[in-house]
Order: sequence, then C-alpha cells, then structure tokens
Amino acid sequence: MATKKLQVALYWGAACGGCDVAVLDTNEFILTVAEVADIRLWPIAADGKYKDIEALADGELDLSLYNGAVRNSENEHIAKLLRKKSKLLVAFGSCAHMGGIPGLANLVSKEDIFATAYMANASIEPGNKVVPRPTTQINGHTLEIPTFYRRVYRLSDVVDVDYFVPGCPPEPSQIKNVLLAVVKGELPPKKSVVGASERTLCDDCTRKKTEKKVKRFYRPWEIIQDSERCLLEQGIVCMGPATRSGCGVRCPNSNQGCRGCYGPGPGVVDHGAKFLSALSSIIDSKDPKEIDAILGTLPDFVSIAYRFGLPASILQRRHGA
Amino acid sequence: MDDLKIGVYVCNCGTNIAHVIDAESVRAYAATLPGVKIARSYRYMCSNPGQEMIVEDIRSQGLNRVVVAACSPRMHEKTFRNACRSAGLNPYLCDMANIREQCSWVHSDSVAATEKAMALTRAAVLRVACQEPLAGLTAEMCPTTLVLGGGIAGLTAALELAEGGFPVVIVERADKLGGNLTRVDLTAPHFDSARDLVRERIAHVRSNPNITVMLHSELRRLSGFVGNFTGEITTNGGKPTHVKLGNVVVATGYKEFDAGRVTHFGYGKLPNVITSFDFERMLRAGRIETRDGRLPQYAAIIHCVGSRSEEFHGYCSRVCCMTALKYANELKSAIPTCYVSDLYIDMHAFGKGCEDFYKRSSEVKTMFLMYGKGDHPVIRRAGSGDDCDMLIEVEERLSGEHIEIPADLVILLVGMEARKDATDVARLVNISQDKSGWFIESHPKLDPVATTTDGVYIVGTCASPKDIPDTVAQARAAAARILAKIAKGKIEIDGVFAEVREEQCSGCRMCNELCPYSAIEFDADKRRSHVIPAACKACGACVAACPSAAIKGRHFTDTQIFAQIEGVLL
Amino acid sequence: MSYEPKLVGFLCNWCSYTGADLAGTSRIQYPPNIRIIRVMCSARIDPSFVLQSLGKGADGVLICGCHPGDCHYSEGNYKAMRRYPLLKRLLDAYGIEPERVRLAWVSASVGQRFADVVADMTERLRALGPCRVKTALQTDQIER
Repeated sequence: MATKKLQVALYWGAACGGCDVAVLDTNEFILTVAEVADIRLWPIAADGKYKDIEALADGELDLSLYNGAVRNSENEHIAKLLRKKSKLLVAFGSCAHMGGIPGLANLVSKEDIFATAYMANASIEPGNKVVPRPTTQINGHTLEIPTFYRRVYRLSDVVDVDYFVPGCPPEPSQIKNVLLAVVKGELPPKKSVVGASERTLCDDCTRKKTEKKVKRFYRPWEIIQDSERCLLEQGIVCMGPATRSGCGVRCPNSNQGCRGCYGPGPGVVDHGAKFLSALSSIIDSKDPKEIDAILGTLPDFVSIAYRFGLPASILQRRHGA
Repeated sequence: MDDLKIGVYVCNCGTNIAHVIDAESVRAYAATLPGVKIARSYRYMCSNPGQEMIVEDIRSQGLNRVVVAACSPRMHEKTFRNACRSAGLNPYLCDMANIREQCSWVHSDSVAATEKAMALTRAAVLRVACQEPLAGLTAEMCPTTLVLGGGIAGLTAALELAEGGFPVVIVERADKLGGNLTRVDLTAPHFDSARDLVRERIAHVRSNPNITVMLHSELRRLSGFVGNFTGEITTNGGKPTHVKLGNVVVATGYKEFDAGRVTHFGYGKLPNVITSFDFERMLRAGRIETRDGRLPQYAAIIHCVGSRSEEFHGYCSRVCCMTALKYANELKSAIPTCYVSDLYIDMHAFGKGCEDFYKRSSEVKTMFLMYGKGDHPVIRRAGSGDDCDMLIEVEERLSGEHIEIPADLVILLVGMEARKDATDVARLVNISQDKSGWFIESHPKLDPVATTTDGVYIVGTCASPKDIPDTVAQARAAAARILAKIAKGKIEIDGVFAEVREEQCSGCRMCNELCPYSAIEFDADKRRSHVIPAACKACGACVAACPSAAIKGRHFTDTQIFAQIEGVLL
Repeated sequence: MSYEPKLVGFLCNWCSYTGADLAGTSRIQYPPNIRIIRVMCSARIDPSFVLQSLGKGADGVLICGCHPGDCHYSEGNYKAMRRYPLLKRLLDAYGIEPERVRLAWVSASVGQRFADVVADMTERLRALGPCRVKTALQTDQIER
C-alpha cells in the first residue's frame, strides 16, 4: 500500500503574497514537496475551495501554513477552520508570527483607515464616499463581505499555534528545513520558533564590531559606508543585535540595516522596547540637549522598532483617541 | 510551582506597622497566595524569637522560600538572610516587602495602607517564587601592592604597607623619588624642611626590603580585578615586566598651573615676575635676588593664579594662601628692609595653626591688599623715574581705593592642576576624573580614598589640591584599607552579579563599553562577551541594554521584576 | 467604586529608594497609590517594565534615580535618561498621555522631595482618569 501523502494547506490572511512566493523560491524543492504532499488549499497557486476544507475530518490535514495577519473576519474564520482540520498549524512569516507590516495599522483607528482609503483621497471621485459594509442588500439578495476588524491580530491571538516560522518572508532555505523537519517528524517542542537561529544577527554577521558609541544616526544614503564595519557603529540603524538570525544576514550584506523581520530573540518580551533600550545605550552623550539632537537624526523610531511586530508588543496598538 | 513552600511573615513592628496596617488581614491574605505554605504575624520579626520562628519553620515545615513583610530591606535584609542561612536555606531565597518606611509610616488611611501592604506582599511572594539560590565566589588576595608615583603620598603609603609586612612596588616616572616636594624649601606654617621630610621617607623606603623601587618606569597596562591584578611595567621604555598585584595606590600628584597663561601678569615677559616654584628654587639656593642680581627692595605676592577663576580653574588650590604667608615671612626674614605686599582675594587659613600663622604674618609688617574675585591686579614695567622695576595696580577692596604699588620681584602663587597624563592614568586603572581632571573618589565624605573600582585607591593631590598633612593622612588611610583586605586573605565576591549566558550572546558588543567597571570582556576567539564576577557591581545597566536578553541580572532578573509588576497591581 | 490611580514606582537602591525610606523615617505623608519596586540602579530599568506596568493595569509609572553626577555606579542614571526620550515617543504612539510616565531624580537625603513627586504625580493621574490601556487589554476579546 502506498504511503499516504502528507495533506497540506497554505493560506494567506492579511498578506502580500511574499511568503507564498518564498515557498516557490525553494525552486526544485517544491517538486519534491509535490511528490510527498497533497496541497489541498493554496489560493495563490492552486485550485481549492473552502467547502472542501470544511468537508475534511478534524485533524485530517497534516500541516497548515498560515501566512498573513488576521485583519478581517474571513482571516479569522479560515484560521479557526484550518486549526480544526489540521494536526499542525504553523504561523508562517512575520505577519502571522507577529502581525507584520500590516500590524503598523494598529497605530491608527479603523475610522482613520477608512477615511483615508475611501473618502479623503486624491484617487476617489468627489462625492463618492462609499465605505465597505459587511452586508449589502441587492435585488432581494444579501451580499456579505468580511468584516474589517478594528485592529490587526497575530495568528496566535485567534487560534492555538503549534510553530512559528519567522521572516518577511522566511528564507527559502529555512522553509526547506522546516518542511523536511515536518516530513521526518523532527520538530522541537510545541510553540517553538523554527527555521531560525537561537541567537541574533550579530552572531552570523561578518562585519567587524568594536566600540558602539554614536554621535548621530544616518540614513543609509547619507554616508558612504564601510562595508566591513558594523552598521550601527557607523550610525546606520540596524536592528540586527535585537533580531533573531537565520535569514542569512540578507540586509546588512546588502548594506542596509536589518529591519527586524525575524522578530526578537528568545526570552525577549517586547521587540521594540528591547531595541529601544539597546539603541539608547549607544548614544554617546550625557547632556540632555545633545541627546535630543542625536535622537533628532532618528526619524520615526516607532515604525523602526515595531515595523513587523506591533500587534505582538506588550501594548499592541494605539489606545483611545 | 508545586514544590514551592513559601513562608510569609508579617511583622507588626510593635505598633510601628500595626497601628496603621491590619497585619492580621495581610497575613490571612498572604496565606491564600500561590505557593504559600505558612503565613504568620508577629510583633518583632527581627528579634531573636522572630528569627527563630523563621528558622524553625524552615526546618519543620520544609520551607524553601521566605518573605518578610516588615521594614525596609535596607534595614534588615541581612538579618533575615542570615536567619535563612543558619537554617540551611540559601540566603537569596528570601525577599522583603517594605510595609513600614514605605507604607505604615507614610500613610494614615488604614484601609488604603492595608491594601497596599497586601499588594507589596503579593509582589514579594510572586518574586520569591522566581528567585534562585545563589552562591558567592571567593578569590585570592595577592598581598603585593602597586604604588603609582614616588612623591610624599606614594612613599608614605608604601612604607605603611611595607611595615605591615607586605611587598610593595613603587613605580615612578622620573629618575628620582620625592615628587613635587623636592622642589620645596620649607613648609608652612612651621617652616619645617621639606627636604628633610622627603629624605627621611626615601631613606626608609630604600632600606625596607619589602619595597621595590622602579624609577624611570611606567605602568603600561593593568588587567584583572581586586586581589588578582596583573600590572605590566616598563623601565626606560624597555621590555615589560609582569607583576601580580592585589591592589593599586594611585599617587601621581599634580602639576602647577602655567603662569604664562595669565597674560596680565607678564610671566615670561617681565623677568622679575616668577612663580612660587621659581621662588622655592631661590630659597633652596639661599639667595633671593632679582634677575640682575640685586636684592629686591619691594616684593609682591599674588594669590590665586589660575585658581578661583572663571577663565582657568574654578576651584581653590588650598595650599597657596599659607605658602604666600610663608614667603612673606621668609622675605622679611632674609631682607628686613624689603617692603612686602600680599595681594589676595580671601585668606584661606583653615588648617591647624594657620590662623595663628596669619596673625603672626600680619605682625611682621606685610601689607595685605585685598582685591575682588573676578578682578585682578595688573603688572607693568615701571618708568625710568621710578625706583622700582614694576608697578602693580590693584582695586583694593578694604580701602575702596585704586592703589599702585612698586615691585622689584613678584611671586605668583600658581595653583595646582591635574597632570596632563592624568587621563591616561585614569584609563589605565579604570577610575574616573571630574571636570577639572582630578580623580574621583568613591564618596566625597564617607569614602575619600577608595574609588568605584575595587582595589584601586587614590591618595594625595592627584585626587584634589591638598596640603601635606591631608596627603599623608590619605596615604595612610589607603594603606590601612589594603592591609585589612590582605589580612582577610581572600576576597568574598557577592553572589549578586550579572552573567552572560553564552548560548544567547551574539557578540554584538553593546555591553563592553557600558560597564562602568569594565567588568565585561569580549573574547574575540569565541566571539562572546562574559562578565568578570568580581568586578561586577550588579547595577544592571548591561542587563537592560543587552539586545539579545543574554545577560541575566542575578537576583534582579527580568522574570522577577515582571513578577513584582504583576504582584503590585492587585 | 471611584477611581484611585495606581502608580508603579521603580526606585534605585542608593538614592531614590533610600530617599523614600527617609520620607518614612521622617513620617512625611504622601498618597498611598504608589507601589514601589526596588532595583539597584535606574540603569536596570528596561523600557518593557514601563510598558508592562501599563499593560497590567497601572495608571502611571514613576522612574526615580540619583541626580546626574551622583550615581552610585558612576553613570547609570545617564543610561536611564538616554532611554527616556525614545520611550516617550513610543508612549505617544500608543496614545498614552505623557504625564503618565515620569523620570525624576531623587537624592537619598531629601525625603520630602520624594513625597512631593509622588503627591504631584498621583494628583495628575487622578485628573487624567484611568489609563485607557487598562480596560482595553484586560479584555481578551477580539474587537470585531
């Protein structure tokens, strides 16, 4: 009797498609996957209907990779559906893991988002201020679209998640590692972060590190960098010291500061707060005025610190007005 | 959580706590908290019966954690830790809730205070559950001391240590011992010979077998920590000698202020404007004369050159006023017909015998002229018709008049300032300098010879301007501290320090520069940092800054603090 | 039940905690809303402590350290000071009023100053009302 193929689903919540593309970026490996697995749902790449998933027995799916954040009721609904039908549910990519870039929407309110997207916008016809509504009556029929939630959630905020694969997107070689581990049954304890290192980028980064003291911060285009030397030491903001490694140091190797997409290292409660503490520590001044001037060269710190993980932070979102 | 057996003790402190806080309610509440096996309330927990209660409960109830809700831990943390220790429980498995100094003594609303006491107790219970047994470390105490500088401070410290029976190495940059005192003739206020003073010290040093003198030598590097330093010393720039050391006494002294910087005094231009050290040379040679070999008919002494000035140094150099009086006396004694003027801002005569000295000096017919701070006398060449070499103009405060005085010789009392190499020394031994360059002591009142780096002491004028009595006192004080340490034989390193968890450290190196004690070293081969426990003072700066959360602040871990946060927000 | 602000205070052992103890020995009274957590140095304070305090129901957070230049560990208070501006930016983004988090220097020898700081801050928190975070995060409900 032939070995039963692995039953796999891939789904995207509030996503950009990058994580799915990353899976495809495993190149020939995907063919191996196709040999050992039946992909029952993969909206970007294959045919498959929700009702087919609903028809499965609980736990019939061996593995579901859910990328994207939970922004609306459909995202939540499918998350719960896949949880029910899967043995293993993996939060795949930054958005599912920590909320991702869509999570930055938590800095504003749903009303502000709708106003900007649908009402006060140069590309909208004047007078046409139509805002999406969950239900609409047309010709005696009720049409429904998903409800846009008041804020962005991580996958683990709505369902129990077994593993987290970080990255925006996860590095294809890491995706390979994770899939192989699933196939071989060689996974670490539940709730672990997989496909990543237990240390931060500095461990894998080959740039030389000496003394971390800065008198000002620079945008990457403002200076000619020394490509051998630590970016932070040159005043270029790099979240590498506070961010889990495993991505192959892609950004610093391309002369850009790490943006933190793999999330914090183990044991760190709040990624942005931890980076804040570290970054403040390298400011080379004791004078409040000078400190302010140095920090003035650091624009929009909040979006730097929480680019990928605002919903995962302690306070999660903007509160009140 | 299952194997936690916490004992909670709510102290009444007589009525100090009990008159505001309902101790019994706090006790009853504590009994409901997770992991609490026993909760008691007692009059005086710090008393012998109180402590014995804890000891007995640890033994009979198998308690493995203790919380005492009572006074401030700054008061009795040691007491209760000792109680735990004597019962065989690691002393770091104990926590306190401050419900006296920070509760019953500052709040009068009984209900609110009791509720707050419950919250604080809960925080302590949640924290103690996360506390871990900690062991201190012991290290050897090397009995050899390095004395940096062979002036009066260094010589005194070295002798004290050597006579105590322990080896000392004096490292002196110059080619002879004695320092700045060898440039001085007599000392104020009693006109003792500085030369005799120094010679006597040097003779003792030379004849003491415990002291090794290294002249023309410099300390190049100091590594390690108290009791276990290694000093790298070069002589004449040659190959370094490595010396094992327990402690270091920094006695590098001062240099005098460069009078040439005060242009309105004309030092370097007017040939008969000299500094105090120039004058000492004359006194030692036994001949006071002007540049062209004449006895001065008019002499003027000016205080505060480079000191108490907005332009140069704001501080007072302490010794100059009495030195000025010394010169006034010596001038009058050597040349009785000489008119001596003393131009000063204030007369600082605070030392033993100094007020009397001031009084006596005014009796030898010195003319004292006071000018204002921020103001200054101006010296210019006299005209051909004048019977003196120079004229000094001064706005005299006591008379309120603009006065012009003649002078054939002007002595500038130059202040003390930090040596140019002071910053190098500070970096070498890991101490700090204040904004004037003086080395900083551990506490200006309570600990004036120690520094924030254990095992490194600062004595004499390298720490601040001072006279010989104070210098000698400091030198002996540092020696006494070191002797006490050596007597103990070993050093105890407290169990509370930061530690880098290597499996988490990514080698980002953010911590190395942060530590005020240079206690975090980077291993370039392993690409990991590690903390030297003996050098760590557990401030926690590195713990908060570490972006990998790799540094654990023993006894003040993130987990414990988060537990306290949850606990207080009842 | 009327609103009583909850204030969490992080005090450094050598200056501010001692100053608070001194307020106690001097019997200087101040409002009971503050709950103090002792650390050895203000440099130990990780910004996440402040965020966690607000997240767990505090209406305000007070961080106290030694006066600049007086730190027992040489420059720990400067380290705390350097973290503060960016923390303020975060709090602003989170919609938390700036008066809710304060950094104050309290020396060991002035108990009255500690009491004044606490009284002042408690009143400000009373005027501001409960911190919005409290109610928002205490529900695990998905806000649909």
